[in-house]
Amino acid sequence: MICRVDDAVHTGRAVSLSGDVGPATVATAVREGVASDAGGTTVAVTARTPHPVHERVGCLRAGMALRVRTALAAAARARGLSAPQDPLLRRARQRLAAIRDEREGGVAGDGAALSTADARQRLAAARAETDRLRERVATVRGRLQAREEYGLATEDVRAELAAAARDLSEVETEAVAAQQTLERARRRTRETRDTLEERLRLEDRVANLERRARRALTERVRDAYAAAVAEVPGTGEPDDPFAADALTAGFAVARVAEFDAPVVVSGDRFESARAASRWLGAPVVRV
Amino acid sequence: MLLVIAYSRGARGSLRNVTRAHEECVVRTFGRVALFAATEFGAFQALRLREKHGTEIQIEWTEPFNEFDRLRADVRDAVRVYESREEPATPYEKFAAGRDLPDPETMRGREL
Repeated sequence: MICRVDDAVHTGRAVSLSGDVGPATVATAVREGVASDAGGTTVAVTARTPHPVHERVGCLRAGMALRVRTALAAAARARGLSAPQDPLLRRARQRLAAIRDEREGGVAGDGAALSTADARQRLAAARAETDRLRERVATVRGRLQAREEYGLATEDVRAELAAAARDLSEVETEAVAAQQTLERARRRTRETRDTLEERLRLEDRVANLERRARRALTERVRDAYAAAVAEVPGTGEPDDPFAADALTAGFAVARVAEFDAPVVVSGDRFESARAASRWLGAPVVRV
Repeated sequence: MLLVIAYSRGARGSLRNVTRAHEECVVRTFGRVALFAATEFGAFQALRLREKHGTEIQIEWTEPFNEFDRLRADVRDAVRVYESREEPATPYEKFAAGRDLPDPETMRGREL
Protein backbone atom coordinates (compact mmCIF):
# COMPACT_ATOMS: atom_id res chain seq x y z
CA MET A 1 0.00 0.00 0.00
CA ILE A 2 0.96 3.61 -0.36
CA CYS A 3 -0.18 5.83 2.45
CA ARG A 4 0.31 9.61 2.31
CA VAL A 5 -0.26 11.84 5.31
CA ASP A 6 -0.07 15.38 3.99
CA ASP A 7 3.36 15.26 2.33
CA ALA A 8 4.84 12.25 4.12
CA VAL A 9 4.72 8.99 2.13
CA HIS A 10 4.65 5.55 3.75
CA THR A 11 4.78 2.29 1.81
CA GLY A 12 4.74 -1.40 2.60
CA ARG A 13 2.46 -4.06 4.07
CA ALA A 14 2.76 -2.63 7.58
CA VAL A 15 2.75 1.11 8.06
CA SER A 16 3.11 3.02 11.31
CA LEU A 17 1.76 6.53 11.52
CA SER A 18 2.98 8.28 14.56
CA GLY A 19 1.26 11.59 14.70
CA ASP A 20 -1.95 13.41 14.90
CA VAL A 21 -4.16 11.55 12.46
CA GLY A 22 -7.01 9.53 13.98
CA PRO A 23 -7.82 5.89 13.15
CA ALA A 24 -11.29 6.71 11.79
CA THR A 25 -9.82 9.14 9.25
CA VAL A 26 -7.33 6.55 8.05
CA ALA A 27 -10.06 3.88 7.80
CA THR A 28 -12.17 6.26 5.70
CA ALA A 29 -9.14 6.90 3.49
CA VAL A 30 -8.74 3.13 3.01
CA ARG A 31 -12.37 2.87 1.90
CA GLU A 32 -12.66 6.08 -0.10
CA GLY A 33 -9.07 6.82 -1.18
CA VAL A 34 -8.74 10.19 0.55
CA ALA A 35 -9.96 11.64 3.83
CA SER A 36 -9.31 14.75 5.88
CA ASP A 37 -9.81 15.18 9.59
CA ALA A 38 -11.10 18.23 11.42
CA GLY A 39 -7.56 19.52 11.90
CA GLY A 40 -7.02 19.69 8.14
CA THR A 41 -4.66 16.72 7.91
CA THR A 42 -5.24 14.80 4.68
CA VAL A 43 -4.66 11.08 4.39
CA ALA A 44 -4.59 9.28 1.04
CA VAL A 45 -4.34 5.51 0.80
CA THR A 46 -3.69 3.59 -2.40
CA ALA A 47 -4.43 -0.08 -1.87
CA ARG A 48 -6.73 -2.89 -2.97
CA THR A 49 -10.49 -2.33 -2.77
CA PRO A 50 -11.85 -3.29 0.65
CA HIS A 51 -14.29 -6.17 1.06
CA PRO A 52 -17.55 -5.38 2.94
CA VAL A 53 -16.03 -6.96 6.07
CA HIS A 54 -13.87 -3.85 6.19
CA GLU A 55 -16.93 -1.87 7.30
CA ARG A 56 -17.12 -4.10 10.38
CA VAL A 57 -13.53 -4.69 11.48
CA GLY A 58 -11.46 -2.41 9.23
CA CYS A 59 -10.76 -0.06 12.13
CA LEU A 60 -9.77 -1.75 15.38
CA ARG A 61 -9.65 0.66 18.28
CA ALA A 62 -10.74 1.00 21.88
CA GLY A 63 -14.42 1.87 22.22
CA MET A 64 -15.36 0.45 18.82
CA ALA A 65 -18.87 -0.94 18.39
CA LEU A 66 -19.26 -4.41 16.95
CA ARG A 67 -22.07 -6.84 16.25
CA VAL A 68 -19.94 -9.94 16.51
CA ARG A 69 -22.13 -12.45 14.67
CA THR A 70 -22.86 -10.08 11.78
CA ALA A 71 -19.15 -9.22 11.49
CA LEU A 72 -18.20 -12.87 11.65
CA ALA A 73 -20.59 -13.73 8.84
CA ALA A 74 -18.96 -10.96 6.76
CA ALA A 75 -15.54 -12.41 7.67
CA ALA A 76 -16.66 -15.82 6.42
CA ARG A 77 -17.73 -14.15 3.14
CA ALA A 78 -14.32 -12.49 2.90
CA ARG A 79 -12.79 -15.97 3.14
CA GLY A 80 -14.87 -16.95 0.13
CA LEU A 81 -17.33 -19.10 2.10
CA SER A 82 -20.95 -19.24 1.06
CA ALA A 83 -24.24 -20.14 2.72
CA PRO A 84 -26.79 -22.72 1.58
CA GLN A 85 -29.37 -19.90 1.29
CA ASP A 86 -27.31 -17.98 -1.29
CA PRO A 87 -29.07 -19.17 -4.47
CA LEU A 88 -32.52 -18.45 -3.02
CA LEU A 89 -31.29 -15.16 -1.66
CA ARG A 90 -29.91 -14.13 -5.03
CA ARG A 91 -33.21 -14.90 -6.76
CA ALA A 92 -35.30 -13.11 -4.14
CA ARG A 93 -33.04 -10.04 -4.36
CA GLN A 94 -33.29 -9.98 -8.14
CA ARG A 95 -37.08 -10.10 -8.04
CA LEU A 96 -37.13 -7.41 -5.39
CA ALA A 97 -34.85 -5.19 -7.47
CA ALA A 98 -37.13 -5.70 -10.49
CA ILE A 99 -40.18 -4.63 -8.47
CA ARG A 100 -38.37 -1.58 -7.13
CA ASP A 101 -37.30 -0.55 -10.65
CA GLU A 102 -40.82 -1.05 -11.90
CA ARG A 103 -42.21 1.11 -9.14
CA GLU A 104 -39.70 3.87 -9.71
CA GLY A 105 -40.27 3.74 -13.45
CA GLY A 106 -44.05 3.73 -13.21
CA VAL A 107 -46.46 6.38 -12.06
CA ALA A 108 -45.77 7.27 -8.45
CA GLY A 109 -48.64 5.64 -6.61
CA ASP A 110 -48.00 7.20 -3.24
CA GLY A 111 -50.05 10.27 -3.93
CA ALA A 112 -53.11 8.27 -5.02
CA ALA A 113 -54.75 8.05 -1.60
CA LEU A 114 -54.48 11.77 -1.13
CA SER A 115 -55.26 12.74 -4.71
CA THR A 116 -58.63 10.99 -4.35
CA ALA A 117 -59.29 13.11 -1.26
CA ASP A 118 -60.79 15.69 -3.63
CA ALA A 119 -63.21 13.12 -5.09
CA ARG A 120 -64.13 11.88 -1.62
CA GLN A 121 -64.85 15.41 -0.52
CA ARG A 122 -67.00 16.10 -3.60
CA LEU A 123 -68.91 12.85 -3.04
CA ALA A 124 -69.56 13.64 0.63
CA ALA A 125 -70.73 17.16 -0.23
CA ALA A 126 -72.93 15.89 -3.07
CA ARG A 127 -74.54 13.29 -0.79
CA ALA A 128 -75.25 15.83 1.92
CA GLU A 129 -76.68 18.20 -0.70
CA THR A 130 -78.78 15.38 -2.20
CA ASP A 131 -80.36 14.69 1.19
CA ARG A 132 -81.09 18.38 1.70
CA LEU A 133 -82.64 18.80 -1.77
CA ARG A 134 -84.76 15.66 -1.46
CA GLU A 135 -86.28 17.10 1.69
CA ARG A 136 -86.83 20.39 -0.04
CA VAL A 137 -88.55 18.74 -3.01
CA ALA A 138 -90.80 16.82 -0.60
CA THR A 139 -91.66 19.98 1.32
CA VAL A 140 -92.44 22.00 -1.79
CA ARG A 141 -94.48 19.14 -3.22
CA GLY A 142 -96.50 19.05 0.02
CA ARG A 143 -97.11 22.76 -0.23
CA LEU A 144 -98.18 22.40 -3.83
CA GLN A 145 -100.71 19.68 -2.93
CA ALA A 146 -102.07 21.74 -0.10
CA ARG A 147 -102.56 24.75 -2.35
CA GLU A 148 -104.27 22.58 -4.98
CA GLU A 149 -106.63 21.17 -2.35
CA TYR A 150 -107.58 24.64 -1.21
CA GLY A 151 -107.81 25.90 -4.80
CA LEU A 152 -105.08 28.53 -4.38
CA ALA A 153 -102.70 29.83 -7.04
CA THR A 154 -99.94 27.29 -7.74
CA GLU A 155 -97.72 28.87 -10.43
CA ASP A 156 -95.00 30.10 -8.07
CA VAL A 157 -94.90 26.85 -6.12
CA ARG A 158 -94.75 24.83 -9.34
CA ALA A 159 -91.79 26.88 -10.51
CA GLU A 160 -90.13 26.41 -7.13
CA LEU A 161 -90.67 22.65 -7.32
CA ALA A 162 -89.23 22.48 -10.82
CA ALA A 163 -86.14 24.42 -9.71
CA ALA A 164 -85.65 22.16 -6.68
CA ALA A 165 -86.03 19.04 -8.82
CA ARG A 166 -83.47 20.41 -11.30
CA ASP A 167 -81.01 21.15 -8.50
CA LEU A 168 -81.54 17.69 -7.09
CA SER A 169 -80.90 16.05 -10.44
CA GLU A 170 -77.71 18.07 -10.91
CA VAL A 171 -76.30 17.19 -7.55
CA GLU A 172 -77.21 13.52 -8.05
CA THR A 173 -75.25 13.54 -11.30
CA GLU A 174 -72.34 15.11 -9.45
CA ALA A 175 -72.47 12.34 -6.82
CA VAL A 176 -72.44 9.64 -9.52
CA ALA A 177 -69.45 11.26 -11.23
CA ALA A 178 -67.49 11.47 -7.98
CA GLN A 179 -68.39 7.86 -7.20
CA GLN A 180 -67.08 6.74 -10.60
CA THR A 181 -63.86 8.69 -10.16
CA LEU A 182 -63.37 6.98 -6.83
CA GLU A 183 -64.04 3.55 -8.25
CA ARG A 184 -61.49 4.05 -11.03
CA ALA A 185 -58.95 5.26 -8.48
CA ARG A 186 -59.73 2.29 -6.27
CA ARG A 187 -58.97 -0.15 -9.11
CA ARG A 188 -55.66 1.59 -9.80
CA THR A 189 -54.77 1.63 -6.12
CA ARG A 190 -55.56 -2.05 -5.84
CA GLU A 191 -52.98 -2.82 -8.56
CA THR A 192 -50.41 -0.63 -6.83
CA ARG A 193 -51.08 -2.44 -3.58
CA ASP A 194 -50.72 -5.84 -5.22
CA THR A 195 -47.20 -4.77 -6.20
CA LEU A 196 -46.54 -3.33 -2.75
CA GLU A 197 -47.71 -6.55 -1.18
CA GLU A 198 -45.35 -8.58 -3.36
CA ARG A 199 -42.51 -6.21 -2.47
CA LEU A 200 -43.23 -6.58 1.24
CA ARG A 201 -43.36 -10.37 0.92
CA LEU A 202 -39.99 -10.39 -0.87
CA GLU A 203 -38.43 -7.98 1.62
CA ASP A 204 -39.50 -10.24 4.47
CA ARG A 205 -38.19 -13.25 2.59
CA VAL A 206 -34.84 -11.59 1.89
CA ALA A 207 -34.50 -10.51 5.54
CA ASN A 208 -35.33 -14.02 6.69
CA LEU A 209 -32.88 -15.67 4.28
CA GLU A 210 -30.19 -13.16 5.23
CA ARG A 211 -30.65 -14.05 8.89
CA ARG A 212 -30.41 -17.75 8.16
CA ALA A 213 -27.39 -17.26 5.86
CA ARG A 214 -25.67 -15.19 8.53
CA ARG A 215 -26.26 -17.91 11.07
CA ALA A 216 -24.92 -20.60 8.72
CA LEU A 217 -21.81 -18.56 7.87
CA THR A 218 -21.14 -17.76 11.52
CA GLU A 219 -21.41 -21.43 12.32
CA ARG A 220 -18.80 -22.31 9.70
CA VAL A 221 -16.11 -20.06 11.21
CA ARG A 222 -17.15 -20.41 14.83
CA ASP A 223 -14.20 -22.62 15.85
CA ALA A 224 -11.66 -20.47 14.04
CA TYR A 225 -13.13 -17.45 15.80
CA ALA A 226 -13.04 -19.07 19.26
CA ALA A 227 -9.38 -20.04 18.70
CA ALA A 228 -8.57 -16.49 17.56
CA VAL A 229 -10.25 -14.93 20.62
CA ALA A 230 -8.08 -17.09 22.88
CA GLU A 231 -4.96 -15.76 21.18
CA VAL A 232 -5.71 -12.04 21.08
CA PRO A 233 -2.90 -10.37 23.06
CA GLY A 234 -3.80 -8.54 26.22
CA THR A 235 -6.91 -10.45 27.25
CA GLY A 236 -7.66 -13.53 29.29
CA GLU A 237 -9.55 -16.33 27.63
CA PRO A 238 -13.28 -15.65 28.09
CA ASP A 239 -15.75 -18.46 28.87
CA ASP A 240 -17.87 -17.48 25.91
CA PRO A 241 -15.98 -16.15 22.87
CA PHE A 242 -19.11 -14.24 21.83
CA ALA A 243 -19.04 -12.37 25.15
CA ALA A 244 -15.52 -10.98 24.58
CA ASP A 245 -15.13 -7.20 24.63
CA ALA A 246 -15.65 -5.49 21.26
CA LEU A 247 -11.97 -4.81 20.58
CA THR A 248 -10.91 -8.40 21.38
CA ALA A 249 -13.78 -9.76 19.31
CA GLY A 250 -12.86 -7.34 16.51
CA PHE A 251 -9.26 -8.60 16.40
CA ALA A 252 -10.47 -12.19 16.37
CA VAL A 253 -12.98 -11.56 13.58
CA ALA A 254 -10.32 -9.71 11.60
CA ARG A 255 -7.97 -12.67 12.01
CA VAL A 256 -10.66 -15.01 10.71
CA ALA A 257 -11.33 -12.74 7.72
CA GLU A 258 -9.03 -12.25 4.78
CA PHE A 259 -8.10 -8.72 3.77
CA ASP A 260 -6.85 -7.18 0.57
CA ALA A 261 -7.14 -3.65 1.89
CA PRO A 262 -5.26 -2.51 4.99
CA VAL A 263 -6.75 -2.78 8.48
CA VAL A 264 -6.35 0.22 10.76
CA VAL A 265 -5.16 -0.70 14.25
CA SER A 266 -4.79 1.64 17.19
CA GLY A 267 -3.99 1.04 20.85
CA ASP A 268 -1.38 -1.10 22.51
CA ARG A 269 -2.52 -4.66 21.86
CA PHE A 270 0.38 -5.00 19.43
CA GLU A 271 3.77 -3.36 19.83
CA SER A 272 4.22 -2.62 16.13
CA ALA A 273 2.41 -2.48 12.82
CA ARG A 274 4.43 -5.50 11.67
CA ALA A 275 3.39 -7.57 14.68
CA ALA A 276 -0.26 -6.72 14.12
CA SER A 277 0.06 -7.44 10.40
CA ARG A 278 1.63 -10.85 11.04
CA TRP A 279 -0.98 -11.78 13.64
CA LEU A 280 -3.92 -10.66 11.52
CA GLY A 281 -2.46 -11.92 8.25
CA ALA A 282 -3.44 -8.60 6.71
CA PRO A 283 -1.89 -5.29 5.63
CA VAL A 284 -1.99 -2.93 8.60
CA VAL A 285 -1.82 0.79 9.27
CA ARG A 286 -1.03 1.36 12.94
CA VAL A 287 -2.11 4.69 14.29
CA MET B 1 -65.01 -0.30 12.59
CA LEU B 2 -62.01 0.83 10.59
CA LEU B 3 -59.91 -1.80 8.88
CA VAL B 4 -56.32 -0.61 8.53
CA ILE B 5 -53.87 -2.54 6.32
CA ALA B 6 -50.15 -1.80 5.92
CA TYR B 7 -48.38 -2.50 2.62
CA SER B 8 -44.72 -1.75 3.43
CA ARG B 9 -42.22 -2.43 6.16
CA GLY B 10 -42.30 1.23 7.23
CA ALA B 11 -46.11 1.33 7.31
CA ARG B 12 -46.22 -1.97 9.18
CA GLY B 13 -43.81 -0.59 11.78
CA SER B 14 -45.90 2.55 12.26
CA LEU B 15 -49.11 0.52 12.51
CA ARG B 16 -47.50 -1.69 15.14
CA ASN B 17 -46.39 1.36 17.12
CA VAL B 18 -49.85 2.90 17.03
CA THR B 19 -51.61 -0.32 18.04
CA ARG B 20 -49.18 -0.73 20.96
CA ALA B 21 -49.41 2.87 22.11
CA HIS B 22 -53.21 3.17 21.77
CA GLU B 23 -54.71 -0.17 22.73
CA GLU B 24 -57.94 1.58 23.70
CA CYS B 25 -58.75 2.36 20.07
CA VAL B 26 -57.66 -1.01 18.67
CA VAL B 27 -60.21 -3.81 18.54
CA ARG B 28 -57.98 -6.49 16.93
CA THR B 29 -54.59 -6.79 15.30
CA PHE B 30 -53.43 -9.43 12.83
CA GLY B 31 -49.84 -8.93 11.70
CA ARG B 32 -49.94 -5.99 9.32
CA VAL B 33 -53.70 -5.53 9.67
CA ALA B 34 -55.70 -3.97 12.50
CA LEU B 35 -59.29 -3.12 13.32
CA PHE B 36 -59.65 0.30 14.91
CA ALA B 37 -62.64 1.34 16.96
CA ALA B 38 -65.22 3.45 15.14
CA THR B 39 -64.49 6.52 17.21
CA GLU B 40 -63.04 9.87 16.25
CA PHE B 41 -59.83 8.87 17.93
CA GLY B 42 -59.70 5.58 16.01
CA ALA B 43 -60.16 7.53 12.76
CA PHE B 44 -57.57 10.08 13.89
CA GLN B 45 -54.96 7.34 14.36
CA ALA B 46 -55.85 5.59 11.08
CA LEU B 47 -55.69 8.82 9.07
CA ARG B 48 -52.42 9.79 10.72
CA LEU B 49 -50.94 6.55 9.35
CA ARG B 50 -52.26 7.29 5.86
CA GLU B 51 -51.04 10.87 5.98
CA LYS B 52 -47.58 9.51 6.69
CA HIS B 53 -47.51 6.49 4.36
CA GLY B 54 -49.94 7.31 1.52
CA THR B 55 -50.99 4.30 -0.57
CA GLU B 56 -49.04 2.02 1.74
CA ILE B 57 -51.89 2.35 4.23
CA GLN B 58 -55.40 1.24 3.27
CA ILE B 59 -58.40 2.25 5.36
CA GLU B 60 -61.80 0.62 4.93
CA TRP B 61 -65.03 1.09 6.81
CA THR B 62 -66.44 -2.23 8.03
CA GLU B 63 -69.79 -3.04 9.53
CA PRO B 64 -71.37 -6.22 10.92
CA PHE B 65 -72.75 -8.43 8.17
CA ASN B 66 -76.48 -9.13 8.38
CA GLU B 67 -77.27 -11.89 5.90
CA PHE B 68 -81.01 -11.39 6.38
CA ASP B 69 -80.61 -7.82 5.23
CA ARG B 70 -78.09 -8.33 2.42
CA LEU B 71 -78.67 -11.80 1.00
CA ARG B 72 -81.54 -13.59 -0.68
CA ALA B 73 -83.09 -16.51 1.19
CA ASP B 74 -82.09 -19.09 -1.47
CA VAL B 75 -78.43 -18.55 -0.70
CA ARG B 76 -78.96 -18.67 3.05
CA ASP B 77 -80.89 -21.92 2.66
CA ALA B 78 -78.18 -23.36 0.43
CA VAL B 79 -75.64 -22.73 3.19
CA ARG B 80 -77.70 -24.70 5.70
CA VAL B 81 -78.40 -27.59 3.38
CA TYR B 82 -74.84 -27.86 2.09
CA GLU B 83 -73.23 -27.72 5.53
CA SER B 84 -75.46 -30.57 6.75
CA ARG B 85 -74.68 -32.82 3.73
CA GLU B 86 -73.83 -36.41 4.39
CA GLU B 87 -70.92 -36.77 1.97
CA PRO B 88 -68.34 -34.25 3.21
CA ALA B 89 -66.17 -34.64 0.10
CA THR B 90 -68.81 -33.38 -2.36
CA PRO B 91 -67.92 -29.96 -3.78
CA TYR B 92 -70.76 -27.43 -3.75
CA GLU B 93 -70.99 -27.22 -7.52
CA LYS B 94 -71.75 -30.92 -7.79
CA PHE B 95 -74.00 -30.84 -4.72
CA ALA B 96 -76.10 -28.01 -6.16
CA ALA B 97 -76.41 -29.54 -9.63
CA GLY B 98 -79.09 -32.12 -8.83
CA ARG B 99 -80.98 -29.94 -6.38
CA ASP B 100 -82.94 -26.74 -6.45
CA LEU B 101 -80.01 -24.67 -5.16
CA PRO B 102 -78.36 -21.53 -6.57
CA ASP B 103 -75.42 -22.45 -8.77
CA PRO B 104 -72.03 -20.94 -7.91
CA GLU B 105 -71.63 -19.19 -11.26
CA THR B 106 -74.82 -17.18 -10.72
CA MET B 107 -73.78 -16.31 -7.19
CA ARG B 108 -70.39 -15.10 -8.42
CA GLY B 109 -72.09 -12.72 -10.82
CA ARG B 110 -74.55 -11.24 -8.31
CA GLU B 111 -73.46 -8.48 -6.00
CA LEU B 112 -74.84 -8.12 -2.51
